[in-house]
Amino acid sequence: MHRTKPYSNAAWFLMLPAALLMAVVGVVPLVAVFNYSLHDIFSLQDVLWVGPEWYHAIITSPRFHASLGRSLMFSAVVLSVQVPLGLAVALALRRTGRAAVLGLMLVALPLVVPWNLIGGMWLGLVNPETGLVGQALVALGIGFDWKFNAAHTWILLVTMDTWHWLGLVVILSYAGLSSIPPEQYRAAAIDGASRLAVFRFIELPRIAPALGVVLLLRFVDSFMIYTEAFGINAGGPDMATHFLAIDLGEEIKSFNYGSAAARSMVYFGIVLTVIWSFVRINAAREARGA
Amino acid sequence: MRVLPRLGLFAALGLFILLPLAQTFLLSFMSTLPRDGMEVGQFTLMNYATIWQTPALTASIGNSAIYVTLNVALCIAVALPAAYALARYEFAGDRHFLFLLLAFRATPPVVLSLPIFILFSRFGLVNSPLGIALVHCLFNLPIAIWILETFIAAVPKELDETAFIDGHTLPSFFVRHLIPAIAPGIGVAAFFCFMFSWVEVVFARILTVTAGKPITMAINALFTFRTDVGLVMAMTVVSLLPGLVMIWFVRNHIARGFALRS
Repeated sequence: MHRTKPYSNAAWFLMLPAALLMAVVGVVPLVAVFNYSLHDIFSLQDVLWVGPEWYHAIITSPRFHASLGRSLMFSAVVLSVQVPLGLAVALALRRTGRAAVLGLMLVALPLVVPWNLIGGMWLGLVNPETGLVGQALVALGIGFDWKFNAAHTWILLVTMDTWHWLGLVVILSYAGLSSIPPEQYRAAAIDGASRLAVFRFIELPRIAPALGVVLLLRFVDSFMIYTEAFGINAGGPDMATHFLAIDLGEEIKSFNYGSAAARSMVYFGIVLTVIWSFVRINAAREARGA
Repeated sequence: MRVLPRLGLFAALGLFILLPLAQTFLLSFMSTLPRDGMEVGQFTLMNYATIWQTPALTASIGNSAIYVTLNVALCIAVALPAAYALARYEFAGDRHFLFLLLAFRATPPVVLSLPIFILFSRFGLVNSPLGIALVHCLFNLPIAIWILETFIAAVPKELDETAFIDGHTLPSFFVRHLIPAIAPGIGVAAFFCFMFSWVEVVFARILTVTAGKPITMAINALFTFRTDVGLVMAMTVVSLLPGLVMIWFVRNHIARGFALRS
């Protein structure tokens, strides 16, 4: 399976443009953020060294802990809804044959909607006077108050996020499933393997790398949800959907650059830790030869 | 065969995905503010006519199209040699580079927005489509490299070897052999770069202070004390059209090219 590739550092010449571009738009700004995070910035000319004070203030603040808890909770809910659902859709599409393309096109649709419009679309949908779902809920006598009922805001946010990102989960899972040679399915059918056994022993090992990527991408993106969550209820009601990135957005808007930079570095640290663990787990799995 | 439950699943899925889009579509053909000679809720093409007659709105469509196209071209051009190097060779730091790509793909734009603004304003890249096209490489270049690497790794190595024996240089091998061989991969990479650039809001907002507003910001500006929901929805429908065209072009290849490694 694993072909060894020739070793050549001359290949770096081919990497050079990409590496330069990443340095300009990624590394340089990141170093700058780190530098800001150690200063109190009144204006770009008036800067005071404060060392790790911002970090201390953020990490010990109850507000940060509350937002972190909410963001982790949101990611957990999003992953536990979207990954099984996306996997189920991908498995079903895989058995549909040629019509699967239609399904993939369907789930890809929400991916091309600009992020700041998604909130508006869903608010339009649940509007009790003009929205299709809102009117249906009223007719059924179900009260849905996304504005002031925290549970309802959460339901709306998770539903909206699932609508938005299910396509990515389906596409990546489907891509993983496509790499399974048909002979394996035939062999399993000859052995009389059950549907569950086929999933457990043929499909799951094959899509494990793709699922890893799905988990990672969905985690980091949901963990840092900003535009869509802000569009729905701006963190409300009563801070119930006040996630990490909304905290950061507020600080940038009020020009607390030093503190905002420290906050950015804390978030970057969290994201980096998650990615690092992901890479380690992946490497361990590859080493086992799976 | 358990066809029926599967049909049920697809019907439910179709309803779920299409309902918000249908709502948007319906509202875009409706008059949503009280006007002379027109009732609220009446069918009308007026919203689309208004877009056509408002220079700020039509210009924003052009602005978005320009920086997205630039970004896609830049990403593919830079990612292609890098993906080739990663697919064909091992070299010092290759795994670290992939880790770096993953890290920057995962960095929330809000985190880097301030230094990027300062850096870009120093080089006159604010209010310019080139600035947005450059900064969107932060998350699109990793994606383009991953996808292209998967497609190149699937091409047998003999293609390279025969071409070099035939006397092709590396650039002419890329143009004559490699690019045609992985054309679907380039299409898929272009689709994902297009998509993430088109829908992105944070950088697109901070880098367009006075001019070059993208379509997303033009729609934001429509929200006022008395928002014309119909007009907003019509503009939303317009903003979806390029994406729909892209989905149609890559439909047969969209689920390939994600054997990501790290």
